[in-house]
Amino acid sequence: MELEDLKSLIELLKDTDITELQVEQEGTKVRIRREKMFPAVEISQMKAALQENIAGEKEEETQRLITVTAPIVGTFYRSPSPEASQFVELGLQVKKGQVLCIIEAMKLMNEIESEVDGIVMKVLVENGQPVEYGEPLFLIEPL
Amino acid sequence: MKLFKKILIANRGEIAVRIIRACKELDIRTVAIYSDIDRDSLHTRFADESVCIGPASSAQSYNNIPSILTAAEITDSEAIHPGYGFLSENHHFAEACLTSGITFIGPTAESIRLGGDKAKARQIMKRRGVPVVPGSDGHVVSEEAALKTAKKIGFPVILKASAGGGGRGMRIAKAEDELDKFYFMAQREALAAFGNGELYVEKFIPAMRHVEVQILADTKGNIVHLGERDCSIQRRHQKLIEESPSPGTTEKFRKKVGEYAIKAAKAFKYRNAGTVEFIVDPDGGIYFMEMNTRLQVEHPVTESVTGVDIVKEQIKIAAGFPLELKQTQVRLSGHSIECRINAEDPERFIPSPGKITFLSLPGGPGVRVDTAAYNGCVIPAHYDSLVAKLIVHGRDRSEALARLKRALDEFIIEGIKTTIPFHKKVLNDPDFVKGEFNTGFVEKMGTPKTSEEK
Repeated sequence: MELEDLKSLIELLKDTDITELQVEQEGTKVRIRREKMFPAVEISQMKAALQENIAGEKEEETQRLITVTAPIVGTFYRSPSPEASQFVELGLQVKKGQVLCIIEAMKLMNEIESEVDGIVMKVLVENGQPVEYGEPLFLIEPL
Repeated sequence: MKLFKKILIANRGEIAVRIIRACKELDIRTVAIYSDIDRDSLHTRFADESVCIGPASSAQSYNNIPSILTAAEITDSEAIHPGYGFLSENHHFAEACLTSGITFIGPTAESIRLGGDKAKARQIMKRRGVPVVPGSDGHVVSEEAALKTAKKIGFPVILKASAGGGGRGMRIAKAEDELDKFYFMAQREALAAFGNGELYVEKFIPAMRHVEVQILADTKGNIVHLGERDCSIQRRHQKLIEESPSPGTTEKFRKKVGEYAIKAAKAFKYRNAGTVEFIVDPDGGIYFMEMNTRLQVEHPVTESVTGVDIVKEQIKIAAGFPLELKQTQVRLSGHSIECRINAEDPERFIPSPGKITFLSLPGGPGVRVDTAAYNGCVIPAHYDSLVAKLIVHGRDRSEALARLKRALDEFIIEGIKTTIPFHKKVLNDPDFVKGEFNTGFVEKMGTPKTSEEK
């Protein structure tokens, strides 16, 4: 397969909802994969909603919120693998013992569980970012 | 060949600060790690980056291998300096660094393992022609074997833990009935402290001096020694005052003890900085005791008299640079003495952690203070009690003693008890001033005896 062929394959995926494409030709296997991207509009809507949430509830709610902190140093992941969906979504309910995220340390995936039933009010760390011991990860409003 | 771009320092306190200083002078970026109670420590401020790796308990922070390696990984550190204590003599850690593709600034895992097996090291030295104190060949398999050795070499004997250090698992037996009593005691103590109950037997030398030799070895097979340090002022095998050169020694003695040290380093296939410890008996007989496979607390006295920055040398050796220093260039100039200022009651040596409410460090010509303490800092109870190292350098021993005396007068630490009054007392002792002392000095000086003490 020529470089040109690869380029046109990548071109093909643009402006589609396809996140993975596998082609086999004369013994050569090519797999093209990409992260699902939200269209720009969707992101700004999410941001607005999030800011509204924070602004409206800041004063009286902060004391009620529970901060989930990192029990170990490592890399923070919101999903079990790049293709999989996130463990928890902002604004949705979680149960006590439910996995919130993964912290990778020494190639080991450590699942971090929620200590309470509640609603995820804020995610404080971006996917793939390093975190240190004790770093705040989530704010959860207990139910 | 290139130096590292970034080094992670797997330690805390004064030694972390000391290592950061060397890195800065070599234009290497630094990463400090800290436990959550060390957030406001000086090493986290001096380093370019810092990562909290766990709670106060050292098992979960400064001794936590996965967390430290992860911190190195997320900060893109190329090398780790372990300092002293914590993981510095843990061969598993050196091995784990290697397999993670991070350079361990120190010897190989194999050398560390051998340095930790005192009975084996003794055996190897004996075969290489380095004198050892008469005793068992390797460890003793039973109490009967220990008794047989003791009868052969004559009482008093000392039982030591093969995996030992710091005075634990160590017992002196003056006669057969004491050996009987102490064998199991020492074994149990060794097992509890080091997870290994193996013991070896040595002839006990009462009026011994503790003399050690600093060595530097590169990866090309070059080894130099930087002269000796006298560490005979100890309490329960804990060093309190160290000096270089050793009082009353000659160039001839230095040459001989240096040759033994280099022989020992070769037998260990050693690289990086290390220290070979010797027992010197009242007749000047030199015997190998053990090898410390790390940077020593008392390295500054050697730096003061040789002008060599040992920590910078460690980093350059680990990066693969050959030693520039030749043995013929090593000269001890003047005299240097170090006092360990510990957060301890100076009479009973009980730890005295707490907040330093006022601190004023001594200065002036020939004075160096290595510390991570500052006004208002807290000395936590979780770690080593070392607060500061006061190092003086003078043209000769008497100038060094005078400097030490006035520097101790200038040194003000309030809020906690420290060993400063103890050091002042030592400096007023005529035998110490004359340089006539051995490892029995502190006991003889009249430290009040506690119930544990013998």
